[in-house]
Parts: sequence; C-alpha cells; structure tokens
Amino acid sequence: MTANTTIDLLERYLQAIGDHLPAATRDDVLAELRANLQAQLDDRAEELNRPLTEPEVAAILKDHGRPVVVAARYLPQQYLIGPAIFPYYLMALRKATPIALIIFFLARCSSLFFVHTLTELIGGIAHAVGLLIPDFISFVFWFTVAFAIVEYVYTQNHAKPFGISWNPAKLPAVRPPHQGRSRAARIADLIFHCLWMLYFLAIPSHPYLILGPNEIVLHIFPIAFAPIWHTLYILIIIVLVLQLITKILALTPAFDRWQSALDLLTKLFGVASTAFLATIKTYFVATSPSANQAMLANLNYWANFSFRIILAIAVIDLLVGAWKLFRPALRAKSFAF
Amino acid sequence: MNAISNPSSEPQNFDSLRLELRRGCLIVAVLAQLRVEHYGYTLRKALADQGLAIEESTLYPLLRRLETQGLLTSQWREEDKRNKRFYKLSPAGELILTQLLAEWNSINDSVNNILQHSKSEVIS
Repeated sequence: MTANTTIDLLERYLQAIGDHLPAATRDDVLAELRANLQAQLDDRAEELNRPLTEPEVAAILKDHGRPVVVAARYLPQQYLIGPAIFPYYLMALRKATPIALIIFFLARCSSLFFVHTLTELIGGIAHAVGLLIPDFISFVFWFTVAFAIVEYVYTQNHAKPFGISWNPAKLPAVRPPHQGRSRAARIADLIFHCLWMLYFLAIPSHPYLILGPNEIVLHIFPIAFAPIWHTLYILIIIVLVLQLITKILALTPAFDRWQSALDLLTKLFGVASTAFLATIKTYFVATSPSANQAMLANLNYWANFSFRIILAIAVIDLLVGAWKLFRPALRAKSFAF
Repeated sequence: MNAISNPSSEPQNFDSLRLELRRGCLIVAVLAQLRVEHYGYTLRKALADQGLAIEESTLYPLLRRLETQGLLTSQWREEDKRNKRFYKLSPAGELILTQLLAEWNSINDSVNNILQHSKSEVIS
C-alpha cells in the first residue's frame, strides 16, 4: 500500500469526523487528530518494519471510533437538559402536564355549549378527548424547549447550582401510611370532576341530560322550572369551581394537610344547599292556567320529599367526615387529661 | 441465576462500574503525566506504558476540555517535520492536581481502613 493510499483513507476519515464538528473548531480539532493518527500509523509501520496495508490502516481507524461518535466527544454539550436541571424539569413536567391537558380539554369543550343535539355533544367530547394526544405531545415539546433554553442560559452563565436554597422545615408533614391517595387517583378525580362540570354546565341548554326521556313532560305539560333553580344553579357552579381549584391543588402532596378540612367544608356547603332546596315547596310552576294543578302539586311534593332524603344522607356524611377529621385531635386531648 | 445474588455474573455491570471508577482517576493520571510536555499520541503511549490504557477517542477530547478549564496549556510546534499540539500542566492545573492528589490519598486511606475494619469484623 502506498503512502498516498494511507493518507487518502486518513483524510476520508477526518473529513467524515469534520462533517459533525462545528465550523469554529473543526480545522483545529482535525489538525490535532491528523497529527495523532499519523504518529500512530507511523509507529505501527515502524513496528512492522514495512508500510501498512489498507486493512491495517482501516483497523486502526476503526479502533479509533466511528466518525460521528468521535466528533460527538468534542462537542461542548451533548444533552438538551443537563443533570443539574433535569430533576426540576421532570418534577415540573409531571405537575404541569395534567393541568395543561385539562385546560386544553376545557378550552376545546367550551364550544360544546352551542351544540343542540346529544350526538353533537358526545361527538364533540370524543373529538376533544382524541385531541389530547397531539396536545400532550405539543405541550411536552414546548415545555422541553423552554427548559433547554434555561439549561443553555444556566450553562453559559455558570450560574450557581440549582436547588441549594431550600428549607427542610418547609417539607410536607409525614403522611399516615396507606391513607394518602396515589397521584393517579388524584388525576382521575380531577378529570372526572371536569367531566362532571361540563355535564352540569351543559344542562340548561340540554335539559334531556338531567331529565332523560322525561324531558318530553316539559313539552307536553305546561310546566317549567321555578326561578329558584337559577339562583341555585349559580351557587352550584361556584362550588364546582372551588372544588376544581382544590382538586388541582390536591395534585401536590403538600396540600394533603388541607384536603380533609376542605372536603368537610365542601360537604357543609352541600348540606346547606340541600337544606335550602328542602325548604322550598315550589320546584315547578305552571306556564298556563290550563295546567293540571293536582299533578303539579304532586310533582312538587315528591321533589321536596326527595330533597329531604338527600339532606338526611348529606348530614350523615357530613357528621362522619367531621368525626374522621376531629377524632385524632379529640383523642390527643383525652390522652392529655 | 439471579443477578442480585451474583452481580459479578453480569460483565456489563462490571464494565460500567469499572468505567465509573476509572473516570476520575484518568483525569488525575493525565494531569500528573503532563507535568512533562506531551502531544496526544505520546501521552497515550506514556500512560499505557504505566499500565493505564486510555482510548484515543476519550483522551484527545479530554485534553481539550482540560485546556478549556485552564488546567493545561498547549502550543503547536513542529516535530519530525510534522505540526503537533503539545500539552503541559498549567500553574492552575498544578494547584488542582495537588488538591486532587490529597483527595485521592484521603479516599485511598479511607477505603483501606474500611477494608481492614470489615476484615477484622469478619474474622472476629
């Protein structure tokens, strides 16, 4: 093998490495590599006391490494998000993803208030659910890009290591064993709550969602919902929004200590709302003098009776919740005496 | 066989742990060897002669990184009618090397103490 062939193979190898190097350092790196590899080839030829054959040169170059891998080792940074920032990226991604998906989902569902048929409603929800996958990919992409920028700025400025200023005293209290809900359960709870809210919000424009086939009664008989329902509807919407906020906050374990108290508060509000409903006597009103007054009175009676039963169940549930919340404190007090 | 009961049965596991163990040592060895000026290839040979073989694709980028960190200085110079880049330990590198060697000796002493202590516990 001639010296020219050796040089040709070496130059092809260096060229292949150079293809993966930044222009600013390419010539310098390749010149250094050329000198080192040339010295190695010369050394080997001296050992064998003859010029190297092409397979021998190829073996040395192969041993040195694949061009793309060799070039990669000269690059200053080979990751988008480094080990200093990656744990924060992962933590933030896990916290933000469910919230972002819910926002995307609700935004897409907002147009459903203007549909008129059940088919359109179900189709719209299915469409919004289907779009969650591209939404998820898009969100993760932009989230990663944002953190890659943070990583770049952090590396360029040789900033202080992340996370050195934290206070162990601010860590959440130890959770009792087997009592904390899993993260998956919290996310599922949040999703179901959102679906429940959507359902509830759609009721005024789609009465069949609550009355089912009985909706026809409103068309056949001259009766309508009493105005009190409008006040109650707004109150329930407020509660649902408050519950939505608490369920989003519940995604962080630090919120656990407030969870039971807020659940109890929500139950209390539920009891108050049901009690308010149980005191009302008129739930449906006649829209025409020709309405069957006996049937209307009967309807209002049974509606009232139903709300009284619901109230009794809600009160028992409230008392059980209160007992569970205050029992540890009461027990500690009795031990103290 | 269970990997937990016999980790040495996993050659890949050993290789990765060995690589981790060697990584820090290589930097100390390179800095120490560069108290005398070398270019990439002769440095690799010198280290290999001392029993510490390093892949070229690891050593050459490492030299540039250590230079960027100010621990080495380099200059292009002609030798045997070829231009070569020679590296040498910088004053900052000398200081770091001293500190690293002190740390190295401290770790070495600690590991030896642990080994002796565990040995005596096993015997008793």
